[in-house]
Amino acid sequence: MGFEKGMEYLRNRKWLGMLLVLMLSLTWLTACNSNNGNTPENTEAKEGNTGTNAAKTEEPAPEPEPAPVPQTLTVGIEAEPTSMNPFNSTDGNSTGVQGSMFEGLLKLDQNMKIQPLLATEYVVSPDAKSVTFTLREGVTFHDGSKLTAQVVKDGLDFVRNKDNKMARASFFSFIEDIKVVDELHLTISSKDANSAMAAYMTHSAGSVISPLELDKKKKDPNYNLDRSPVGTGPYKFAEWKDGQYVKVVPYDGYWNAEGKAKLESITYKPVTEASTRINMLKTGELDIVKNVPSLSAKELEGSADLDISKTPSMDVYYVGANITKKQYNKDVRQAMNYALDKEQLIAQVVNGYGRIADSAIAPNVVGYTAQTPYAFDVEKAKELMKKGGYEKGFDATLWTRNETEFIAVAENVSIQLSKIGINAKVVPLESGTMFDKLDAGKETDMYIGRWSPGTGEADWGLRPNFHSTRIPPNYNNSNFYVNKEVDKLLDEALATPDAAKTQEIYANVQKIIFEDAAWTFLYSPESIVGKRKNVANVVIIPNGYMDLNNVTKE
Amino acid sequence: MLSFIVKRIFGIIPILLIVSVLSFMLIRLTPSDPIRIIYGNDLDKATYEKYRALEGFDDHVVVQYGRYLWNIVSQGDFGKSYRTKSDVAGQLMERGWSTAVLTMVAMGWAILFGLLAGIISATKRNTIWDRIGMVSTITALSVPEFWFGMVLVQVFSVQLGWLPSGGAGTWKHLLLPSLTLGLGVAAVIARFTRASVLEVLREDYVRTARAKGQKERVVVWSHVLRNALIPVVTMTGLQFGFLIGGASVVESVFAYPGLGALLVDSISSRDYPVVQALILLFSFQFLIVNLLVDISYGLLNPQIRYD
Repeated sequence: MGFEKGMEYLRNRKWLGMLLVLMLSLTWLTACNSNNGNTPENTEAKEGNTGTNAAKTEEPAPEPEPAPVPQTLTVGIEAEPTSMNPFNSTDGNSTGVQGSMFEGLLKLDQNMKIQPLLATEYVVSPDAKSVTFTLREGVTFHDGSKLTAQVVKDGLDFVRNKDNKMARASFFSFIEDIKVVDELHLTISSKDANSAMAAYMTHSAGSVISPLELDKKKKDPNYNLDRSPVGTGPYKFAEWKDGQYVKVVPYDGYWNAEGKAKLESITYKPVTEASTRINMLKTGELDIVKNVPSLSAKELEGSADLDISKTPSMDVYYVGANITKKQYNKDVRQAMNYALDKEQLIAQVVNGYGRIADSAIAPNVVGYTAQTPYAFDVEKAKELMKKGGYEKGFDATLWTRNETEFIAVAENVSIQLSKIGINAKVVPLESGTMFDKLDAGKETDMYIGRWSPGTGEADWGLRPNFHSTRIPPNYNNSNFYVNKEVDKLLDEALATPDAAKTQEIYANVQKIIFEDAAWTFLYSPESIVGKRKNVANVVIIPNGYMDLNNVTKE
Repeated sequence: MLSFIVKRIFGIIPILLIVSVLSFMLIRLTPSDPIRIIYGNDLDKATYEKYRALEGFDDHVVVQYGRYLWNIVSQGDFGKSYRTKSDVAGQLMERGWSTAVLTMVAMGWAILFGLLAGIISATKRNTIWDRIGMVSTITALSVPEFWFGMVLVQVFSVQLGWLPSGGAGTWKHLLLPSLTLGLGVAAVIARFTRASVLEVLREDYVRTARAKGQKERVVVWSHVLRNALIPVVTMTGLQFGFLIGGASVVESVFAYPGLGALLVDSISSRDYPVVQALILLFSFQFLIVNLLVDISYGLLNPQIRYD
């Protein structure tokens, strides 16, 4: 039978036609189905209780000064957010989205300096045990309710109350009491002196949420606060479509005229595959992508319509070792620091987008003081191994998270350590499993760690990792580093309200930790944001938060 | 036939029960800690202990399983996602539709191209058409899906700018992922169809039909295909079950909001309630597909009887 004839049969067959029709109708159906979910954007942004018009309502203006057409912005995030409730989320994808809707009393600027936000000023008491905040007047939430001192207190009390099962319940555990002085003043006091109190109020966990929403939750424990974000920010919540996007639109009643939203909407799309995120950026489906892999960064740098911005991150990568084991004595730990060629590590693992870690905390962290990094000196390392009683080296297990960068770091470290006789077997673990094992602390040997203080100040950079009260089980000092001097200084720094003095104490702590080789210090990566060139005014805070509130798009 | 179907449906229940026990226990055996997953690492010891008790993780594992099963049976409640804190059942419903459409369309492509290539290869045996068909199916079987998907994206999205490279929402979003997903299955169907048609072509009754002077078209259509397609139907049914696995990779590559991508994300973020529900759902789908395959046998070939 001829080929043409064969084709003819097939053309004549009803079932084929049916199949085609079925497929086409299915495709068409999805298109319809997915469009049903979209709320028409014109119904948004028309809460006219304030005098300002949204750029959309086209009132015939007396002077034809063409208003810029509001644009939409699409941001690629790495995973589906977990929650839109600042009290109940600990992942960067969630807090990144929340930042456009929620505000706290204070915020951090690009230089990690504390700036006023919902509070216009704060005063720390001389004994560093309490802070009094003065609130901004005339701030309203997206549901119209007013910001008062009582609202701030209720929110903090809610998150601290363990019966409410909030993920951030322990975050404010230093608070002993919150007093409402009057409508615009409140005083937060702690049991012990705590000079970092103000810094805590810059954290996303300290966002102020609507009293009406809190009431709903208090009345009905099943009320889903995770999906109904109501804050005071320039954007308000529009829609969260599972697995597809979270969308926010301008809030007309925003208190800060200059900081008003300049976009029609911001859509955050979770795209888990890094290569897909980069492709979507190239095609213009995404306008901004955070955490661009260093390999792609090189490529984007040379592109015509894309650019990247690099910011030193607050992350420090290190090798931790279980100091309770005798082979990890001070000499060996110093030997490990000398044995590693950090330059080569940075070039290989992050393609040069990083700097050598010259302290246990990164340069952007408040309280940071640079130390002199351990030089790359294999001979010296061998001498120290000999001095420490391990001239022939030893076998070790090196745990690492099973993520690309972590595995690359571990393999590089393992190869370099073999030069001084330490044969570290790399064991990649799923990150949660690794934390659980480190928290248990029973089998810890060596591990690749990364730490970034959420508050952006030294106490949170150092205390969880080096204070003797933080050794496992359940705590983060997985090194089992115990040093009474460090304990004393850390506590002293918290109890000192004077900033210059705390800086001095922290400098001292960092020096001790570095000389003690408490960690094998590796590097601080740069965080790389890739964006379309027509997107302007993206502000990147070194703690990893990307402020999009003033973004404009041509 | 009817009693057969009823029997089979009742046979599904114990299998699902076993699957649910296994998935529940396996997940309990992993060294990770659900409280840390749900609430993050930001809890002090006292808070941690309290939450553990509140969430019922202090109960005996049998009690936990009983509670889990009872909630499913009594109110269709598969628990709350550790990660997004929303109802698992709702999440599955929302994404199930996306995946159903993707798999259907992919299967459509696969049947269309697979049957075409297979029938042409068989009827034009040992010609250039046959060679082209078989070489391309081998190629299609050999390339990894994610690679093929990325090539499609490079060509049609990044270079040409015709189609979106990720996400969902329009028919355009569906084209690349469904083609990627359908490719491997198309190749399997093509090879299977070819072999099956060739075998039937050698049968006596085909020779008889031709000897009676029937047109080739009639021979192929009414005698050959009808019998040759029975094994193809089985194969296609089984492939349908496997497509769900394939959908995980493809959905992740294309950021397509379906069950496959949800499974990958849930496993990597240890969102156990979702993983458990998905395992149950996929098992159920597989069993149902198998049942449908068996039923369609009887429809295709009246000689096959179930008693």
